[in-house]
Amino acid sequence: MKKALSLLLALVMVGALASAALAEQPAKLVIAARGGSHVDVINAVKAQFEQENNCVIEVLGLENPDLKQKIALDSRNAAGAYDIVMLDDPWMPEVTEAGMLLNLTEQGYADDADFVPTSLALGKAPYGAGDTFALPFSGNVTLLFYNADVLASVDAQVPDSWQGALDIAKAVNGKDGKVGYVIRGQQGNPIVGDFMPVLWAYGGDVFDADWNVIVDSQEAKDALNLYIQLLENGANYEKNDIVSSVADGKAAMSLGWPSWYISGKASTAGYAKIPGKVNADSPENPAGMIGNWLMGVPKNTRNPELAVKLLTFLTSAETQRAAAPSGAVPTRTSVFTDPDLSKEYPFYATLLAATEASRERPRTPLWGDIENVFGIELSNAISGIKSVDDALADAKAAIEDIVK
Amino acid sequence: MKKNNTLYAYLMSSPAMLVLTVLSVFPLLFILWYSLTDYYYLSTRPPQFVLFDNYIKLFKDRYFMQALGNTLRFTALAVLFEVTLGLMVAVLVKSFKRGQEVLRTVTLLPTLLPPVTVALIWQIMLSNNYGLINSLLGLFGLGPVSWLTDVNTAFYAILVIDIWQYTPFAFLLLYAAMQGIPQGQYEAASIDGAGKWAQFHYVTMPNIFHNVVMVTLLRVIDTFRLFDKVNILTKGGPANTTATITQYIYHNGVNMFKVGYASAASVVMTLIILFLAAGYIRQNFKARERAQKR
Repeated sequence: MKKALSLLLALVMVGALASAALAEQPAKLVIAARGGSHVDVINAVKAQFEQENNCVIEVLGLENPDLKQKIALDSRNAAGAYDIVMLDDPWMPEVTEAGMLLNLTEQGYADDADFVPTSLALGKAPYGAGDTFALPFSGNVTLLFYNADVLASVDAQVPDSWQGALDIAKAVNGKDGKVGYVIRGQQGNPIVGDFMPVLWAYGGDVFDADWNVIVDSQEAKDALNLYIQLLENGANYEKNDIVSSVADGKAAMSLGWPSWYISGKASTAGYAKIPGKVNADSPENPAGMIGNWLMGVPKNTRNPELAVKLLTFLTSAETQRAAAPSGAVPTRTSVFTDPDLSKEYPFYATLLAATEASRERPRTPLWGDIENVFGIELSNAISGIKSVDDALADAKAAIEDIVK
Repeated sequence: MKKNNTLYAYLMSSPAMLVLTVLSVFPLLFILWYSLTDYYYLSTRPPQFVLFDNYIKLFKDRYFMQALGNTLRFTALAVLFEVTLGLMVAVLVKSFKRGQEVLRTVTLLPTLLPPVTVALIWQIMLSNNYGLINSLLGLFGLGPVSWLTDVNTAFYAILVIDIWQYTPFAFLLLYAAMQGIPQGQYEAASIDGAGKWAQFHYVTMPNIFHNVVMVTLLRVIDTFRLFDKVNILTKGGPANTTATITQYIYHNGVNMFKVGYASAASVVMTLIILFLAAGYIRQNFKARERAQKR
């Protein structure tokens, strides 16, 4: 009898210990993030959430193509490996059409008006007007970068039109071995990203409102002609050479992403909103290219409620303020305009203005293919292999082939 | 007895056959099947059988045909230079009385580097602003040349990098083959009055010809898969002049998840390599048959 009682007592104790251990087992949330500074930012702020919600957050930093592949491959598993995924904004049409993300609106998420509208719109499907599937985690928009000394050497002000930029490039190019304007003409994503702001400033685009391909419009031809003139009065470099040439005063101007030049308070070059006008008299169009990193919750997450909570935390104003010293670029107006942060990071004002006046790349799941062929034809045009008219006509035919 | 031996042979080779089936035969069959479907990885509906639609679309795509042309041209030039230079260096190193070991090791270094590292090293060297090559040109009042963005130079820049990296590979195999040539053959040729060139032509080449063919084949297969250097240095440009088949497959299969279409391109690539290698494989089988008859 004693033995039986002892055994029963031991079993009860083991059971109680086991259930206590299980009860206290913290939940584990896995974030598939873009490697680099984004991982540092998440790691810098995650402790508070872990403490408040009894969970452990693991952050996987992945290179861009790897990240997209892994998210896509995991999306077909019944139980996903990730609870939050980071997404480059042009991927949104692909991932939402494939039903990979949890519909945040259906989960009770109400849009936060503090997000810059152009950033918030990126996470909606359909773009801008639909339900919210992802929230903007890290802001970014292309800017015009210039070397103030080089501009001063030809008595030029920062250009507010593309004709103005060309005039400066002409004045600078060849003077003391300097380069007027540097294009990023590498085939594919680089040249498309570098040309689109010029195209938009001229009032052109890849598609019209009814998704007809209009890359051979007169506006597009004029924009490409100007782009080639900029090259004739400058050079075609890859990213590292662009940054070093403008920063070192070997070149006057280029377009680029803020992180290429700006780090904290310091910037190795002057920066301004990308000109949205063709010339001083023409109307102003939004021209900066927005490129936010968004965060969404995969549909197959094991912890949907906690993941949505974490997503809200990581994109909150408090977190964005706390993450600013780690290099995070905000997506909220209140953070951009925070007086203390604005003093610390003077580029916030320019970045906010540029983000508000930015354009998104066409919202189609086929953008990767379109960008590829458009990039080839733009490269044909700037290399002189094809005339501007022929290159844009071929680009139109190739894009129509993709979307038909 | 013979039956037992056959059974034993099958039993012994079965693990290898199993591994080969799982790792090579199944994936190949899957790729063949996928190439006949419109399989899009992100699609919510199952793949549809489309017969040869992917192949038709592939050969109608001017960018694929351009990538195919570039790849064939690149392979022909790269292999020609790599094998020829590799052979010349092997003959040269073998002629040295001292320092063969040191030279062999030093020469091999580029081949030991991963292609990504090689691409990044050359990207720095070819840079417009701070690159070594443009700086050297500057000393003579030349340049700077946009090696990787100029349509006249990009293809050849990648070609030179590939030759730089893989000539040592050809050198190593041919140098090793030369070690097996009996010294007596050279002595006999020398007694018969053969000069250096005649010795190379009548002694060295016949002895290593089989190895030259093998090195050529290995380089053809490897060069046909050129990807990293192009992807890092030029992204296929300028004007698609450095685009390769592998890059085309990568874009469609990995970036765009068009598994069916990318599979068709992979099948085409495999068939071309098989066609190029067919002569060597046939020759190998014949050689084996001859050896078995002896």
